Amino acid sequence: MNALHSPLFQLEGRLGVKWQHLRAAKERSIGKRSELLKAIRRIDSDDVSVVVFGSLARDEFTEQSDIDWTLLVDGGVDPQHLSLAARIEAVIAELADKPVGREGTFGNLAFSHELVHQIGGQGDSNQNTTRRILLLLESVAVGRSDAYDRVLKAILSRYLLEDRGFVSGSGSQHVPRFLFNDFARYWWTMAVDFAHKQRTRFGQGAAIRNLKLRMSRKLIYISGMLTCFGCALYKKDDFGECPNSRRTAECVECLRQKLNATPLEIVADTFLRFPHLNATALKLISSYDAFLGILATPEARARLDKIQEVDYAADPVYQEARALSHEFRAALLELFFDEVSGLSELTKMYGVF
Amino acid sequence: MRMIGFSTGALAYADYRLGVAMLQGKAVDAIELSALRQPELAPLCEGVDALDLTQFAYVAVHAPSSVRRDDEPQVVEALAGLAERGWNIVHHPDAIHDFSLWARLGERLLIENMDKRKPIGRTAAELADAFQRLPHASFCFDIGHARQVDPTMTVAYFLLKEFGSKLKQLHVSEVNSRSTHDRLSYASVLAFREVADMVPEEVPLILETPVPENRIIDEIRIAAAAMNAAGQELATAGD
Repeated sequence: MNALHSPLFQLEGRLGVKWQHLRAAKERSIGKRSELLKAIRRIDSDDVSVVVFGSLARDEFTEQSDIDWTLLVDGGVDPQHLSLAARIEAVIAELADKPVGREGTFGNLAFSHELVHQIGGQGDSNQNTTRRILLLLESVAVGRSDAYDRVLKAILSRYLLEDRGFVSGSGSQHVPRFLFNDFARYWWTMAVDFAHKQRTRFGQGAAIRNLKLRMSRKLIYISGMLTCFGCALYKKDDFGECPNSRRTAECVECLRQKLNATPLEIVADTFLRFPHLNATALKLISSYDAFLGILATPEARARLDKIQEVDYAADPVYQEARALSHEFRAALLELFFDEVSGLSELTKMYGVF
Repeated sequence: MRMIGFSTGALAYADYRLGVAMLQGKAVDAIELSALRQPELAPLCEGVDALDLTQFAYVAVHAPSSVRRDDEPQVVEALAGLAERGWNIVHHPDAIHDFSLWARLGERLLIENMDKRKPIGRTAAELADAFQRLPHASFCFDIGHARQVDPTMTVAYFLLKEFGSKLKQLHVSEVNSRSTHDRLSYASVLAFREVADMVPEEVPLILETPVPENRIIDEIRIAAAAMNAAGQELATAGD
């Protein structure tokens, strides 16, 4: 999306502010993706896409960020796919200071069949769920996107076609509940996994994980919520009238296009539609901008990476970031329980019972 | 009842005479004479008067999928002669060098959507350019290509939504991952049904599936069921 047309920067204009850390991060992200694109030329094809996740996909890249990636395969089996992944790994190692996460969710091969067919059930591992949801909510194909586009559409198609209430229009609200429930499941899985990692890693890296859970993970989740709620809230969009008069193929394409935006752009787009929430918008995005400013400061980031739980109370950087997360949460509560926009009703109905 | 038939190229590769002969005497009322490679066009033009096509209510010609730029005027001239017989000319947008040459074919020229190997003409957005340059041209919807590009049939839906008013012919086959035509599978039949209601009954259906002569009628039955908006019983048995 052109920076000038980004809802985030349109919102900046409306509110008369400048989110300098977000702007800088977007610029860094575009630059890093461009470097990556040059370095991986000819690795991608119609059958495979190089996909990046995390801060690089969200336009929130800092010099301290790692590069989460996967080689997404949607085509015939080829033993050389592993060699391609090894090549990407070498390229990424040169471009990023930090290695990818320990869980093996990224930095590997991902296959379309598992992502599309294993939604729920025993075969849907944590890794598979995470990959699938992050593909939808915070991913970008660097280079050829044929395989990436097919897989995303196939995943969305499953969520929508198998949602009987959504397809038949029988519900009181036009919200894709199956998709919404999986976004929610992802969020709660992340929250529970935080506790698991804290235990199994003896607190190592817990501070930064905790803050990311409060901010960037939560942001991903709410962007998914807002995308689903948008189906009910916005009666008109690029595809015409909504809801109920539309075929599923149009809904797949509509959601696909909406999810092309970064999570913050999705949030900003919501605020642009509801000017009475300007003060909430300012609080929410300014707190996120300030949080990104902390992450982009090498000393602060290094401190958050190393700090132990016993030092949390006395650590000014941790306390500052924590206070920002509280501000962020307060703004989220204002947004999701706002009655004028209709979000409150949807939050109660889909987010609670 | 939809007119259904075969491409001679699917049945007999470059031997259009054999393709016609394989369909003769069978309950088939549509045919597409294939000249997919440029050297096949002149023999087709020369031999067409000798063909017995009386059983076919619908006849089309598939233009060469690759045309040398220098030969383009002669190719268009030859195809215009066939179009004057009232036959539609199916053509690939990526094979056009000079759009102005093709404008003379008017609505007899049917622009086809492409498979995933091609850099243009795969989606509604990509095909829009060709129709902008050839506003009077019609549309040949290749449902197998559309499914190969996007198995969810979203691309197929938008092609039909955008160009349905120009639709004059349907190409039906399974296009596999190597981009070659194959016989219809149960999965492709299910996918085709997603958009079958958007293809009017009067639009002729041309099969591009490579089948031996003794399977022609079976394949037609399956294609008819796949494109039957009313949801006729699927008939995939036959082997």
